[in-house]
Amino acid sequence: MDPIVTCRGLSKTFGKGELAVHALRDVDLDIMPGDIATLAGPSGSGKTTLLNMIGALDEPTSGEVSVDGLPLSGISRSQLSDLRLSKIGFVFQSYNLIPVLSARENIEFVLQLQGVAASERHDRAMEAIKEVGLSGMEDRRPGKMSGGQQQRVAVARALVSRPTIVLADEPTANLDSKNALELVDLMRSLNREHGTTFLIGTHDVRVMEQSMRHIEMVDGRIDSDARSSA
Amino acid sequence: MIAALAWRNIWRQPIRTSLSVLGMAFTSMLLVFMLSLQLAAYDTMKSSMLRIADGFGQFQIEGYKDDPEMDRVIADPAALLADLERVPGITVATARGTGFGLLARGERSFAVAILGIDPALEPEVSTLSGLVERGRSLTPDDRDAIVLGDGLARNLRLGLGDRVALLGSGRDGSVAVDVLEVVGIFKSKVPELDRAFAQMPLARFSETFLMAGGVHAIAVAGEDLPDVVRVEPELRAVAARHGVVYLNWAELRPDVEEAIAADMITAVMIYVTLVVVVVFITLNTLYMSVLERTREFGVLLAIGMKRRWIGRMVWMEMIFLSLFGNGLGILLGMALTYWVQQVGIAIEGLSEIYESWGMPARFYPAMTPFRVLFGPLAIVLSIAVLGIVPYRRVLGLEPVKAMAS
Repeated sequence: MDPIVTCRGLSKTFGKGELAVHALRDVDLDIMPGDIATLAGPSGSGKTTLLNMIGALDEPTSGEVSVDGLPLSGISRSQLSDLRLSKIGFVFQSYNLIPVLSARENIEFVLQLQGVAASERHDRAMEAIKEVGLSGMEDRRPGKMSGGQQQRVAVARALVSRPTIVLADEPTANLDSKNALELVDLMRSLNREHGTTFLIGTHDVRVMEQSMRHIEMVDGRIDSDARSSA
Repeated sequence: MIAALAWRNIWRQPIRTSLSVLGMAFTSMLLVFMLSLQLAAYDTMKSSMLRIADGFGQFQIEGYKDDPEMDRVIADPAALLADLERVPGITVATARGTGFGLLARGERSFAVAILGIDPALEPEVSTLSGLVERGRSLTPDDRDAIVLGDGLARNLRLGLGDRVALLGSGRDGSVAVDVLEVVGIFKSKVPELDRAFAQMPLARFSETFLMAGGVHAIAVAGEDLPDVVRVEPELRAVAARHGVVYLNWAELRPDVEEAIAADMITAVMIYVTLVVVVVFITLNTLYMSVLERTREFGVLLAIGMKRRWIGRMVWMEMIFLSLFGNGLGILLGMALTYWVQQVGIAIEGLSEIYESWGMPARFYPAMTPFRVLFGPLAIVLSIAVLGIVPYRRVLGLEPVKAMAS
């Protein structure tokens, strides 16, 4: 089985000369289909930078990232947008929903960007809402939802386009214990039922305990990469 | 959904958006009203001044206007008048002769420009006959009658029924002499006319000045000036066929055209200032809104929205805002203009000046699609074009930096 994500010799340096910060140093990493992997490490260890590189949000200083067999170097900004739209789902720490759209519209929005027909968009958005346990709340705007509910909408938005991989950066950081556990359970069940691949940057032990693969980063390098039986 | 999103985005800050909308609406309202009033006032000014004596257009022999020699005549006015009957929009055309000479009574004599007119048709071209204060205007039955200005009558100490001698030079250079009876005295409030202008029947004028069937001008009029302006190409074609020239209102009264042009310069500067101020205030508001949402745009980029789509969404927000504000401004402007149309507007202290130009003391605005739409469209188009600034900012966004902002 080919990996979904391949990183080879990945380095990222911010700034120059004495002010240079080496956020990533020669990282090699493969993410396999169906993985639910956590990326842990202290602040500044390079978790978010690595997620940004894999998510085609930023360019490495050196090295190569491939997503679903497609090398990201040398492709245009427009093609990178298409790649993010079709193959990558994002879940952010701060939910980052569009405040003027309802839960359903936030989810449908991604499908509209993909050019999906209106009726199909609606059906798929409603299905995603049901899947994340928010039936009946589809017409609420983010401001009228709790943090846990908003993060569920964000997960539904990330998944509705059926991406190759979902990248989540500290998805439980703003949630209380109950909502954090529910979110982890949700991601696990989606992984089990649909084989969705998750790469989760986190400090949260509860998330790490539920992952099947645990990658530890220190000073921009992968310090350990271990699979568990979780 | 992008359009819906753009519309909802502009209402995220309802107070700020409302203030922007009201600013644009107020400016648009002013522009609609001011343009409707000002351009209508110009129309009134042109019509009023041309109506006093000139008519909305004239046919003459080339060069006559600058050098009005008596022998520069339209030799066959009947054929030209017959042709003019077929020009749409022209309601009346009438022949005129113009002589220059002296009016004398006893020891007193004053220079005069005397116009030979057709008493039946002239009132449809010129309002002068309606300005007769004492006596009456000329009638088709009149033979040796003269109507003259109030100032001239005073200078010559003439009253109704008095006879006055006319001395001039005829078409062939011989002396033209006549004695005419004062049947009316007009007061146009245009000092030049009142002091040195008189009318007599064209038939008598032709005899006195030995015109041999020729006339110096054929004046035309329509329901209103724009009707005549619209058929100007046809009128010029008629003139060419008869070997004469057609003078439009601006050629007849370049002083009026220059006065309007001078006034327009000031007005245009005010309009441009209004448009520029409201456009920059609106753009500033929208640009601030774009800056505030940089992080959100970063998220949109992250989930796969292309920069140009985000740019279009921002541009659409500007268009929605400007259409809404200016649409409201058009409605308010039309309502205000309609109200003033009913009651008129007088500018205190200027009524005497206006009267001296033959204009009414009250002005009434008039709406046309141009006057109603020009100002608001200028704002909308300026915002649409200058919207390139926030659009370009969006095009330059990088997702990671934007999300970190």
